[in-house]
Amino acid sequence: MKSIEKEIHLKTIGITKRFGGLVAVNHVNINVMRKSITLLIGPNGCGKTTLVNTITGIYEPDEGEVYFEGKNITGLPPDRIYREGLVRTFQIPSPFTKLSVLDNLLVAARDHPGEKFRTHLFRRSWIKTEEELINKAFEYLKILGLDKYWDREASELDAGGLKLLEIGRALMSDARMIILDEPIAGVNPRLAHNIFSHIVELRNKLGITFMIIEHRLDIALRYSDYVYAMNRGEIISSGTPDEIIRDEKVRSVYLGEV
Amino acid sequence: MFDVIILFITDLLAFFGIYLMLNTALNIERGYAGIPNFGLLFSYAGGAYITGHLTAKIAILLTGAKVEADPITQPVSALMVLNPILASNPLISITLLIIILLIGASFGALLGLIQLGPAIRLREDYLAITLLALGEVMNYIAIAYKPFINGSLGVQVPDVFSWIGSRYRFYLATGIILLIAFILYIYAEFLGRTPLGRAMKAIRENEIAAVSLGKSLTRYRAIAMIIGSAFTGVAGSLWTLYSGAITPTLQRFDWTFLPWLMIFLGGIGNNLGVALGTFIFVLINRLIIFNKHLLAGVLPFDIVWFDYISLGLIMGLILIYRPQGILPEKPYIPKNIRRKIVVSRSQE
Amino acid sequence: MIETLISGITYSSLLSLMALGITLLYRTTKVPNFAHASFVVFGIYTSYTLALLGYNPYLGTLLGFIVSGIIALILFYALLEPLRRRKSSIFILMMATLTYDILMFGIINIYADYLQTTFKIPARNVYLAPQDFTLIGLKGVTIVSTSLLIVLLMLLYILLNRTIIGAALRAVMENPSLAQANGINVSLMLALSWFLAGGLAGVAGALLPMYMMTDPSTGMLLIAPMFCASILGGLEQIYGAPLGGFILGLATTVLVSWLSGVIGYWIMTYSLMVPYITLIVTLIFIPRGVVSIILKR
Ligand SMILES: Nc1ncnc2c1ncn2[C@@H]1O[C@H](COP(=O)(O)OP(=O)(O)OP(=O)(O)O)[C@@H](O)[C@H]1O
Ligand SMILES: [Mg+2]
Repeated sequence: MKSIEKEIHLKTIGITKRFGGLVAVNHVNINVMRKSITLLIGPNGCGKTTLVNTITGIYEPDEGEVYFEGKNITGLPPDRIYREGLVRTFQIPSPFTKLSVLDNLLVAARDHPGEKFRTHLFRRSWIKTEEELINKAFEYLKILGLDKYWDREASELDAGGLKLLEIGRALMSDARMIILDEPIAGVNPRLAHNIFSHIVELRNKLGITFMIIEHRLDIALRYSDYVYAMNRGEIISSGTPDEIIRDEKVRSVYLGEV
Repeated sequence: MFDVIILFITDLLAFFGIYLMLNTALNIERGYAGIPNFGLLFSYAGGAYITGHLTAKIAILLTGAKVEADPITQPVSALMVLNPILASNPLISITLLIIILLIGASFGALLGLIQLGPAIRLREDYLAITLLALGEVMNYIAIAYKPFINGSLGVQVPDVFSWIGSRYRFYLATGIILLIAFILYIYAEFLGRTPLGRAMKAIRENEIAAVSLGKSLTRYRAIAMIIGSAFTGVAGSLWTLYSGAITPTLQRFDWTFLPWLMIFLGGIGNNLGVALGTFIFVLINRLIIFNKHLLAGVLPFDIVWFDYISLGLIMGLILIYRPQGILPEKPYIPKNIRRKIVVSRSQE
Repeated sequence: MIETLISGITYSSLLSLMALGITLLYRTTKVPNFAHASFVVFGIYTSYTLALLGYNPYLGTLLGFIVSGIIALILFYALLEPLRRRKSSIFILMMATLTYDILMFGIINIYADYLQTTFKIPARNVYLAPQDFTLIGLKGVTIVSTSLLIVLLMLLYILLNRTIIGAALRAVMENPSLAQANGINVSLMLALSWFLAGGLAGVAGALLPMYMMTDPSTGMLLIAPMFCASILGGLEQIYGAPLGGFILGLATTVLVSWLSGVIGYWIMTYSLMVPYITLIVTLIFIPRGVVSIILKR
C-alpha cells in the first residue's frame, strides 16, 4: 500500500511550449504523486494553464514528454487522454450552455452504452446505466450545492456556479487523476473550503490524484501535500506547503505581490 | 372546385413530407451535432439520381420482364413494358419501393461521409466551405456522365404507386411520403433524448470541452452525418418516385437554402419547431405558387426570382431579429426524474 | 500547348483576384464569404452593360470595382455589422453571407431578364471575347488580367504595409479587441476590407466575359475554385491566395489539357472536378495551405 502511494502518477520531462517568440512553458519537469493533492502556483501569465493544455492534448508540446501512469501520452488527442484516466477542467468555464446542468454532468460519464451508435436505439440496453449515472450525478450536484438547479440550462448559472459545474463534470468522469484549473475563483470562501474538504475526502476514499492550479493560497495551501511554483514558464521551486511559504524566490515573485 | 382543393392539399402534404425529412436531417446535423451542412443538395440529389438510375433496372430484375430497350436512354419503351406489370402487382411494387428507399438511404449516407470526410477534424468554417463546395458536384457528375441518368435529358422511372389505380396514385404516394417523414421525425426526436444525441449536442456547444471529456469529434460528427444524409437520400429517392422522372437540375436554392430557412424559422435544435417552421413555410409557399398565374405576364421578369429576393430578405430578418426561431431549443428534462425529485423534496 | 499555357495564366490571374478577396475577408472578419461569387457576377454584368452601351468593356474593371465594392459594403452594413454587434456566432455570419448570395442571385437574374425582355438582347450568354483586342499576338484579356493582378497586388501591399490605414487594418486582423482598445475604428476597417474584397471580385468579374462564356449562374461554378484557391494558398495568409490561384488555375487548364492528350479527350468533361479534388486533397494533407509549408522551412 505504502509503495503505491509513493508512485509517480504524472510526470513531465522538459515540456516546452512556444507561441511564436514567446516561450510560455520552458523545460518544465514535474512529478505528481499518486493520491496526492499537488498545487501549481505562480503569477498571472506565467504559463500554468498552458502547461495543463500541453499535458492534456489541447496543444502539442514543442519539446518534451508527458508520462501518465508510466505511459507516454505526449501528443495524444484530448479524448484519448480522457480515456487513459486523466481529466481536466477549464479556467474559463466551458459549459454546454444549452444542456441542463444534469446533462452537463452526464456527458462526462465514461463508456455509456447509450452513446454508441449500435446500441442507442435499444433504450433497454442503456436506461439502467443512465439511471445509475443520474443518481451519481445528483450526489455530486449536492456536494457542489447545484442540485436545486439540476433542470436549468447551464447558461443560467452564475460565474461561481459555472466553476462548480466544471468540477462536477470532472468528478463525474471517474478519472484517476483530475487537474483543476482555478476551481474556486469566484466561489465564496465557505463553499470554497467545503469544496476543498470534499476533494480531500474524494482523494482519501476513491484514491483520486488531484493537481490544482490556484491563486487563493490562503485556502488552497492547507489542503495540499506538495506545491510547484512557476514563474515565466519555468518551475522556480517545489516542496511542501511550509517549505514553499518560506522559499525566498517564491516570496519575491509571488507572495510578495499579494 | 372540390378536386382543385384536394389536389392542392395532396401537393401541399407531399412537399411538406419531403421537406420535413430534409429538415429533420438538417436538424440532426446542425441542430444536434453542429455540422453546418450547406451542401444538403449533394446527398439529396444523390438519392434522387441513383433512384432515377436504378429503379427501372431493379424492376426488370424483380419482374423478370423481357425489356429490349435500355431503360436509361430509351425510358419510354422500357416503361411501356414495366409499368403495366407493376400496376397489376402490388407486392412487387412495394418490394421495389422498399429496395429503392434502402438504396437511397445507403447511397445518401455514403455521399454524406464523402462530403464531410476531408474536413471532419477541422473547424466549423472549413466544414461549411467543404460541404457547400461539394454540394454542387452531383449535378455536374449527372450531366457529364451520360449512363447515370441520361445527361441533361434526365430519365423517367417506373411507377411504384400505380397499382392502387391511377386516380389514387398521388394520394398513395403522398401518404407514403408522410408516413416515412413521420417515422424519421419520431426517430429524430428519440435520438435527441438518447445519450448519443446528448453527446452530439455537447460537441456542438463546446468542441474543446467535449473532446476533453472523451467525446471523439470525428466519431460523433460522422454518426450525425450518416444519419442525416441517409434521411436526405431517402427524401431524394421519394422525390424521384413521386415525380416519376428526374433531370439533373435540382437547385441549391430549393434543396439547401429553403431547408435552412425553414429550420431557422421554426427553431434549430427543436424538432417540433422544425416541423412547425416547415409547415408554415410550405403552406405559404404553395399558396403563392398556386396563385402565381395571376402575376404571369405582368412582370418583365420570371417571378421565380422574386422568391429569391423575398425569401432572402426574410432570412436576413430572421438572422438579425430571431435566430432562435419560433420555438427555441429547450434542454430535455425526463419527466420521471422530475417526479422523483419532487417526491424526495416533499419527504425532506 | 503555348496557347493553353497562356489561357491558363489568364484564368489563374482572374482566380487569384477572387481568392485574394476571400482570404482578405477571412483574415479581417473571420468568416468565409459565400456571397463572393455574386460580387464576381456583378462585375460580369457591369462590363457587359458598358459594352451594350457602346463603351470599351475594359472600363468595366474600374466601374466593376466600384459596383461590386458597393454590393459588398451593403452586405457588410445591412447584415454582418448588425450581427457582429449582437455577438452572433461565425455560423450565423456564414448563414448571412449565404443568404445575401441568394438575394443577389435573384437580383442579377431579374436584371438579365429585364435586359432580355425589354431590349431583346441575349443577356444570359455573356461573351465579349470577339470584341477583345490583340497585342503582339496576345489577347487583351491576358495582358490586362495579369498586369492588373500585379498592379493590384502591389497596391494592396503598399496599402497594408506603408500606410496608417494599412497598419490599422493589420491590427484588426491580428487582434480586433486589442485594436479597438487602441482606438482603431474596427467597424470602419472591416467595411474597408469588404469594399476592397468586393472590388477585387468585381474586377475579376468584369474581365471574365472576355475569357469565357458567362451567365448569372457562373457564380455557382466559381464557388469551388475560388475557395479551393484560397484554402490551397492558406486562409491565414493574404499573399497565399495568388499562389493558390495559380496552382489551381494551371492545374485546371494545362494539366487537364495535357492529360487529355495522354488519357483521352473524355477527361476534359471532368475538368470541372479538378477544384473539388484539389480541395479535398488540400484539406486532408495541408489544411493550412501551401504557404504554411513554405513558412515552416
Ligand atoms: N493560444 C495562445 N496564443 C498565444 N499566446 C498565448 C496563448 N495562450 C497563452 N498565451 C500566452 O502564454 C502566456 C502564459 O499564459 P497562461 O494562460 O498559461 O498563464 P497562466 O499562468 O495560466 O495565467 P493565469 O494565472 O492568468 O491563468 C501568457 O503570456 C499568455 O499571453
Ligand atoms: Mg491560467
